[in-house]
Amino acid sequence: MSTMFKRRLQALGYLEWKKVNINDPQHFRKVVLWLEDQKIRQYDIQDRKDLRNIKSEYWPKAFAKYCKDVQCPIFDNDVDQLEWLIGCAIWLETDNDIEQYSQNIKEMKLKMKQEALVPRLKSKNPLDNLDFENNQFQEGVYSVAKLLRIPRHPNHLVTLKACSKLVQRRLNSECLRNPNSKIVRGKPFPIMNCDPGFQLKKTAVENAAKILALLYIQDIRNLQTKINEVIVRVQNITANPKTDTKLGKVGK
Amino acid sequence: MVVRQYQEEIKYLEKITETCWRIKKGFQPNMKVEGVFYVNNSLERLMFDELKNACRPGAVGGFLPGMKQIANVAALPGIVWRSVGLPDVHSGYGFAIGNMAAFDMNDPKSIVSPGGVGFDINCGVRLLRTNLFEEDVLPVKEQLAQSMFDHIPVGVGSKGIIPMNARDLEEALEMGMDWSLREGYIWAEDKEHCEEYGRMLNADSSKVSMRAKKRGLPQLGTLGAGNHYAEIQVVDEIYDKWAACKMGIEEKGQICVMIHSGSRGFGHQVATDALVQMEKAMKRDNIETNDRQLACAHIKSQEGQDYLKAMAAAANFAWVNRSSMTFLSRQAFAKQFQQSPDDLDMHVIYDVSHNIAKIEEHMVDGKQKTLLVHRKGSTRALPPHHPLIPVDYQLTGQPVLIGGTMGTCSYVLTGTEQAMKETFGSTCHGAGRALSRAKSRRNLDYTDVLEKLERQGISIRVASPKLVMEEAPESYKNVTDVVNTCHAAGISRKCIKLRPIAVIKG
Repeated sequence: MSTMFKRRLQALGYLEWKKVNINDPQHFRKVVLWLEDQKIRQYDIQDRKDLRNIKSEYWPKAFAKYCKDVQCPIFDNDVDQLEWLIGCAIWLETDNDIEQYSQNIKEMKLKMKQEALVPRLKSKNPLDNLDFENNQFQEGVYSVAKLLRIPRHPNHLVTLKACSKLVQRRLNSECLRNPNSKIVRGKPFPIMNCDPGFQLKKTAVENAAKILALLYIQDIRNLQTKINEVIVRVQNITANPKTDTKLGKVGK
Repeated sequence: MVVRQYQEEIKYLEKITETCWRIKKGFQPNMKVEGVFYVNNSLERLMFDELKNACRPGAVGGFLPGMKQIANVAALPGIVWRSVGLPDVHSGYGFAIGNMAAFDMNDPKSIVSPGGVGFDINCGVRLLRTNLFEEDVLPVKEQLAQSMFDHIPVGVGSKGIIPMNARDLEEALEMGMDWSLREGYIWAEDKEHCEEYGRMLNADSSKVSMRAKKRGLPQLGTLGAGNHYAEIQVVDEIYDKWAACKMGIEEKGQICVMIHSGSRGFGHQVATDALVQMEKAMKRDNIETNDRQLACAHIKSQEGQDYLKAMAAAANFAWVNRSSMTFLSRQAFAKQFQQSPDDLDMHVIYDVSHNIAKIEEHMVDGKQKTLLVHRKGSTRALPPHHPLIPVDYQLTGQPVLIGGTMGTCSYVLTGTEQAMKETFGSTCHGAGRALSRAKSRRNLDYTDVLEKLERQGISIRVASPKLVMEEAPESYKNVTDVVNTCHAAGISRKCIKLRPIAVIKG
C-alpha cells in the first residue's frame, strides 16, 4: 500500500517521495497542500490559506471542506481520501499532457468516453414510458420472438430478454457486416455422450446440469477472452522483446 | 532404518488392487498414515528387487529404496490420508522422486520439506502445438534441430541470449510469466494455458540469497543439463479424440514441440539454502524424522514461510525460463518456415510443474481441508470442472504432460475424479530412473546410444555427448509401462502419444 503511494507520488514529481510517512499528520498535510498547490488547483491562491496552515488544529476541518469541494466521494477515512486526491492529480496531469501519450491511449479514452455517453442517453429513452404489461406489448414481444425463432416463455419479459441478447450478440452492426468475426465456429463436442465428471440419479437432471455447466463455461470463456484482450492492449505499450546472440554460451 | 530380512519386510506389503500396493504401518517407525504405490507387473518387479537388494547383508550407501522412502514420508508430522508413490517412483534426496504427500495447513505440527519438492524447483514440461505435419518437417529436420540448438543454449554452464540485468531478475522473480508477458516474449493465451497462470503470488525475492540470484541471472532462457531437453515431436497416437481436439490436436502426424526444463542453478541454490536453515529449525522445534535427508520445518515457522516464499520465486524463475524458450522456439520455427509463429498456430497446449509444493483445497474423509501438497516427480492432474484448470479444459480435465526419455515417446494424459479421491489430484511425471547415473555410465557406451537414435531417425544436438548414456532409455523405466499403470489405476487417462524426431539437450 505504502509503496504504491510512494510510486505515485514519485510519478507526480513530489521531491520527498522517498521519505513520506503518511501516518505522520505533518507529512500527510504537506502532501495534501502540495497536491493542491501544484496539481489540482481547486482554489485560488488566496483561498488556500486554511490548508496552508498545517500546524493549526483547525486543519482537519479545512481538509474536510476541501475534500467536499473537489467532490471526493470518500468521507470517513483520510488515508483513502489522500489516495483519491493523488489519483485525481494523476488524472489531471495525464489529461494535460494527453498529446504526449500514444495514439493507443487516446483511442482507449475516446472509446471509454463514447461508451460513457451511451447510458446517459437512456434517461430520455422513450421506451421508459411504455406499459410493459399490456396485451399489445406482450403480443409484440412474442411476434418478434417468433421471427427470431426463440422459444416462448410464459413470462413475456423473459422472452424479451432472450430476444435482446440474441440481437445484441448476433445482429449488431459489426456482426452483420462480417458474420464470421463474431460467430464462433468451434468443433462440436459430444457433451451429452461424455462423462461429465459428476453423476446424478435422474438423466433429465444430469442433462440439465450439463447444460448449466456449458453455459458457465461459456461465461468464463468470454471473461478470459476479455482478459486476454486487455493484456494484448497493455502489451502494445510495454512489449519490447530483445535477444542478443553474443550473450549466448553453450555449456558442456 | 529398521534392519529386517526381506521375508519379514514383505509382510508389511499388501496388494490392494491390480495396480496398487499398500505399505502398512510399522514398515518404518512412527508411520502416521499408510503408504501406497502404483505399479504394473514389470514395475512391481523393479520395486521389489530394489527392496531385496537393500536387505542384503552389508548393503550400504546410496539412497534408501523407494518403498522405504515412501514409508518415511508417511512418518512426517501433519501428513494426511497417505504417502503416495506413483508408478515412476525411484529413490531421491529424502523423498522418493514420484512421491506425493499432503500436510494439513491447520495442524500446527504440519511441516514443509524442501526434499519433498526437489532441488530443481518447478521443473516441468511445456507442450506447444503447430499446424505443421511430419511431411512438412522431415525434409528440413536437421536444419530445424540446428536452429533450435542455436537459439536455446544448453548444457552445464550455458548462458541465455535474452539480455537481463539484476533488476529484470528481481521483477521476473516476483511476476513470473507476467514479466514475460509485459516484456512481450509470450502471448496472452500462453498464460491462460499454464499451471497457476505462470505466477506464484506469494513469491518474495527478498527471501532468496544473493548467491542464488547470481547463479540464476545468466541462466534464464537456457535448457540446462541432466534429463532436460527440447524435442520436436510427432503425434503418434490419439486415444481420446475429443480431449485431443480441445488441445488443438486433430490428426496423427501433427508436429509439437516439448520443452522440459526447470529453475536451473537458481532453484538448486534456494533448496540448498533452505536445507541449512531447516536443520536448525528442526533442532529448535524438536521435529523428528526417520531420515536426516527429510529436513523440514513447521509450515507456520519463519523457516517454513521463508522457504515457501523463496520456492515460489524459484517457481516463477522456471516459468520465465520456459517462456523464454517458448519465444526462442517460435523464432526458430518462424525463421525456418518463413511464417509467423501465429500463422504456424504455435500455441501452448499446457505447462505443468512436477517439482513443487502448493496450497490446495481437498476433501479428506468427507471434509474440505486446506493442504500443503508436495509433488516431487509428480504432476498435478485435476479432473473436469475443477476451478483451477483453464476454461478450455473444463470438459476434458487438466492436460498432464509426461515427458519420456531421450528417444522414447512422451504422453499427454488428462486428470480424473479418481485421482482427486486417491492421490489429491496427482499422477506420474515421466519415466523414472531404473539405473543410477554412475551405473549407466559404466554399463553403456555413448557412441552406441547415439547410433541407436540415428537408426530410429531421431536428429540429436547435444552439448556433451559423453554424458548421453546417463539419459539413455535403458537407464529409465519404460514410460509406456508408467503411463499405462496410471491409466489402469484411473488416476489419469491416456489422451495423446508423441514420438520424437529431433532432440536437443545438455
